[in-house]
Amino acid sequence: MKLTVNGIEQEIFSPPLTPLLHVLRDELDVTSPKAGCQQGGCGTCTVLIDGEPRRSCLTAVAAVDGSEITTLEGLGEPEQLSPVQAAFHERYAAQCGFCTPGMVVAATALIERKGGPVERDEVLEALGGHYCRCTGYVKIVDAVMAASRGQTGAREDEPETGEEAPVMIPGSPA
Amino acid sequence: MKAVGARLPRYDGLGHVTGRTQFVDDVRVGRTLWVKALRSPHHHAAITSMETSKAEKLKGVHAIVTCADVPKNVYGHLEALGVPADEPLLADGEVRYKGQPIAAVAAESEEAARAAVEAIEISFEEREPLFDIRKALDGEAPQIHQWGNVYPHYGPYNHRRVRKGDIEWAFENADAIVEGVYRPQAIEQMPMETQVALAVPEASGRLTIYSCTQAMYFSMGVVAAHLQVPLNKLKFIGGTVGGGFGGKVDTAADTVCALLALKSRRPVKWRWTREEEFLASSTRAPWHIEIADAVTNDGWILGRRMLTLHDSGAYSRFSPYGVTKHAFHHTGAYTIPNLRFDGFVVYTNRVPTTAMRGFGVTSVSFAVETHLTRVAHAIGMDPWQLRLKNANRIGDTSGNGVAMKDPSTVPVTLAAAERVGVELPAEFRQMTPEPRSGDLLPEHLREQQRLNGEDS
Ligand code: FES
Ligand code: FES
Repeated sequence: MKLTVNGIEQEIFSPPLTPLLHVLRDELDVTSPKAGCQQGGCGTCTVLIDGEPRRSCLTAVAAVDGSEITTLEGLGEPEQLSPVQAAFHERYAAQCGFCTPGMVVAATALIERKGGPVERDEVLEALGGHYCRCTGYVKIVDAVMAASRGQTGAREDEPETGEEAPVMIPGSPA
Repeated sequence: MKAVGARLPRYDGLGHVTGRTQFVDDVRVGRTLWVKALRSPHHHAAITSMETSKAEKLKGVHAIVTCADVPKNVYGHLEALGVPADEPLLADGEVRYKGQPIAAVAAESEEAARAAVEAIEISFEEREPLFDIRKALDGEAPQIHQWGNVYPHYGPYNHRRVRKGDIEWAFENADAIVEGVYRPQAIEQMPMETQVALAVPEASGRLTIYSCTQAMYFSMGVVAAHLQVPLNKLKFIGGTVGGGFGGKVDTAADTVCALLALKSRRPVKWRWTREEEFLASSTRAPWHIEIADAVTNDGWILGRRMLTLHDSGAYSRFSPYGVTKHAFHHTGAYTIPNLRFDGFVVYTNRVPTTAMRGFGVTSVSFAVETHLTRVAHAIGMDPWQLRLKNANRIGDTSGNGVAMKDPSTVPVTLAAAERVGVELPAEFRQMTPEPRSGDLLPEHLREQQRLNGEDS
């Protein structure tokens, strides 16, 4: 079997029914897809198979023989972030970071499919099967909508570095 | 101050968005064995026999550990602070919750480890389980712990107590007694990264442990104590946690990995399945909270009687500390001069409960704030005004007798009222945290500033 993973062709030696997740992590050392549940429920293992977001934990490697696989590592480099990566970074859409690989690849596929600005309900639909226990989702949805509009910098209403903190509570020492 | 109020990039942010962050499960070490555990299928049972020899002979199996392999099997996270331990690392003769680990296998693959777990021969004699904390003290209730059904180590008492002022006086002089029962339920922390550890025996004789713990020094101490080795034999690598929310304060996978690595002389990794996480990892405790407040028609809370039952599950872990925090916060952000509080850590055959986001405090805050609104409705007073009237002020004393120096109740309550557009009369809008005087210093509060609390 052969897979093209993040642009590099790889020969695969795992047994044919091995989940793609384990082939990526254990045979190829591509570790951004995470084993959050290994039963299709959480989305942390999501990768792009020929551009479509799929749960690699439920995908037997033989079923995708010859495909192009893209994981979070393949979307950009720390010095050259993709728009979705940049928006997630600038808008604090990752906290512990464990759900982030699945979120970012699924959001990237959504924006590619739409080819223009995506709306809130479209983000909720596309990321509906992805759990995040840290963020409460608000910043994730915000980052995806912003990335689809080419806004990859900080939110405009964020204070600049060094600016005074707003006083929230009258009489507080802040 | 450069950082406060400033936008700063997260130090780990680029790693997170590019997939370069290395979580414990992402650490690759050659020749790593995989761990699976034999867990109790019963809530409460005696282990009548166990035989691992067949499992040991299976292909790919390198080591099996049971309680007999643990140098110090019973150890507690708070033992170093003088809280006696009650939990075995691996069950010894009996099991007290479904999912309790009994034995663990290290093998070439997860499948081989699972097959070995299934090949361990074990028999149980089931016992009646206890799940309802309200029944734990009944004579009829099954006795599930060597200490009985209540954790008994609060100084001379078997529960956490607060006594302040003259509770009888308060209830005799009240216009109304307002009662309520509150039962916040268990919650699974459910981080996206399940419990995981990797232990690597080094040529130097040390063990390197990659841990997802939230509490590195707790884990080091716990592993060293179970193994009975000095701390300098252990090197912990951690700090990258795929979510914890309190559920990774207890040491979960580290110790078993360490034991198996020492026994097999191979690196071993244990990654819990999502089922194990739900079945056997700790949760936030369920609570049973009863409050009775002695109140006057003009909105003074003269006294509070309160009983709390904290469901500790099968072992105490951090529960004694949770109840202590609970006791400290049982008046909320308000001043009540006469108190009688009793809080019990109750054992049941549930999974042990532990830390989760302010555990002990969130439960009592939920109960107290809900109750204050109930009091307000009972006496026909605005709930905001009731809160402000009884709010902590400088010089008021807490339940355990500490004088307040900088209480924030008044400004925070006023800010909240403003944010949600609640109009308050001028006398309330102008309140400050400054010491009580005039109408806000009635006779019963004059006394309380001189009274000593007792927190035992
Ligand atoms: S690991 Fe595949 S969906 Fe959870
Ligand atoms: S950032 Fe932690 S689960 Fe999403």
